[in-house]
Amino acid sequence: MTDAVIEVNGLNVSRNGRRVIEDATFTIGRGTYMGIMGPNGGGKTTLLQAILGIIPHESGSIQILGKPMEEFDQWNKLSWVSQHSITFDEKFPINVRELVSLGRLNRSNLAKPLKKADWEKVNEVLKFMGISKLADRRIGHLSGGQKQRVFVAKAIVRDPEVLILDEPVAGVDPEAQKRFYMKLSNLNGKQGTTILIVSHDLTAVFCRMSHAMCVNRRVYTSPISPDADPNEVLQKVYGEHFHFVFHDHVCEGFFDDV
Amino acid sequence: MMFNYILQLLGYRFFQYALLGGSIASLSCALVGLFVILRKESMIGDGVAHVSFGGVAIGLYLNVQPIITTLVVSVLAVFGISYMRRKGLADSDSATAVILAVGFSTGLIIISLAGGFNVELFSFLFGSILTIGTGDLVLISVLGVSSLGLITVFNKELLSITFDEQASRLMGVPVGALSAVFNLLVAVTIVLSIKVVGMILVTALLVLPGLTALQLDLGFRRTSFMSVVFGVGNVVIGIFASAVFDVATSGVIVFTLVACFLLVSALKKGLVAHGK
Repeated sequence: MTDAVIEVNGLNVSRNGRRVIEDATFTIGRGTYMGIMGPNGGGKTTLLQAILGIIPHESGSIQILGKPMEEFDQWNKLSWVSQHSITFDEKFPINVRELVSLGRLNRSNLAKPLKKADWEKVNEVLKFMGISKLADRRIGHLSGGQKQRVFVAKAIVRDPEVLILDEPVAGVDPEAQKRFYMKLSNLNGKQGTTILIVSHDLTAVFCRMSHAMCVNRRVYTSPISPDADPNEVLQKVYGEHFHFVFHDHVCEGFFDDV
Repeated sequence: MMFNYILQLLGYRFFQYALLGGSIASLSCALVGLFVILRKESMIGDGVAHVSFGGVAIGLYLNVQPIITTLVVSVLAVFGISYMRRKGLADSDSATAVILAVGFSTGLIIISLAGGFNVELFSFLFGSILTIGTGDLVLISVLGVSSLGLITVFNKELLSITFDEQASRLMGVPVGALSAVFNLLVAVTIVLSIKVVGMILVTALLVLPGLTALQLDLGFRRTSFMSVVFGVGNVVIGIFASAVFDVATSGVIVFTLVACFLLVSALKKGLVAHGK
């Protein structure tokens, strides 16, 4: 890993009196593409929310882009797509272009109209995510896969250094999921964006990403290489014998360039 | 003959004032009301309108311009509702119900101290757009321009926090300050609209234009535009219709707003049924 974008040391987080994250220590380097896995209720979302300061942590430290989280103010360098992003009111009157343009908001353009350059960036990202043709469609009229691409477009239109996605493909059909992961690989490979993504798709994590993180109260991270054995990492977190069925032909498709 | 009568009406200053005051109030209501609906806070509009009854009573009792005391009381009410919600004392509806009851009962106590109702209080309760004077019009214009200015300047930020408050906060948008600005907008808009339709019916002017525009399934800019078209259009039609048929203006305005909502909803259902 090169320089760290996120550093977590001895982090403990509790919810409703129950310890959810215990003594988490890890470093995420610039340009990492990390898949975050673990059982339901294992603390994946809690960990991300603690890193982002949405929920408080009991003890330990979090540093984002070299600054303690409590002092971090460069929110334009970090984008987040929450688990609940797509569970919005379907009747909300907003089209794709309008929603993606909201991603350009930051403290420096408060109370000012978006500039021509902002709109050009919006069009560029719509094209990158393959949703230009949907620009004038109401967001509530889109399919699950299309909505996901729109929310990721809103997140990356800020040109973030770090992109955090919490279960972005839940409920999306497998073909759309595959296209979605390809777009993220492209973003990570060509623009060097650091990506953290919560995913239950172990094949996608082990075929496409550079690192895996397993969260089940404790946090384990591991680089992924063609020689790495996924079973070793997964057995630690699930605490039982784990057999990862890994068909050769599956990865071939995942490694295809976009 | 009808056309001549309408032309004659347009020549009267009171009618010009009514059209101008009504248009400013409905323009403001249409834009602020759309956000109120999308934030699922329609009850706050109703609550503040009822609280303003206390403000009017205080103004009349102290012999101060009632619209000023109403503005102060309404602003206190929206911030009171917001405070109770933020501190977890009550959810939005319950907080509104509490503040509504406090404001309305304050009005009742003051009226009983003053020895009963008077004509002016009725004009605030049910609206009296045809009696708008120069002073009222200036006040409505100042409040209207302030409200329109705020909503124009902070439009994208208000849209962002309305769509996703938590994501907006993480983007560095000052959610707390903007929510306070929005609360202020709601209070100002309601107060400036009381002369038009009265405090009992002001929620209709706030909610119906946006609700009608939402039936059209458009993006945000177009929905806002159509909300203004429905709001201003129906107020103007209502003012003319009330003069022509000599019936209560506020009642006719609300009636045209409801009729327009039903018509647009029926047309939409018809189009959907025909698969268009």
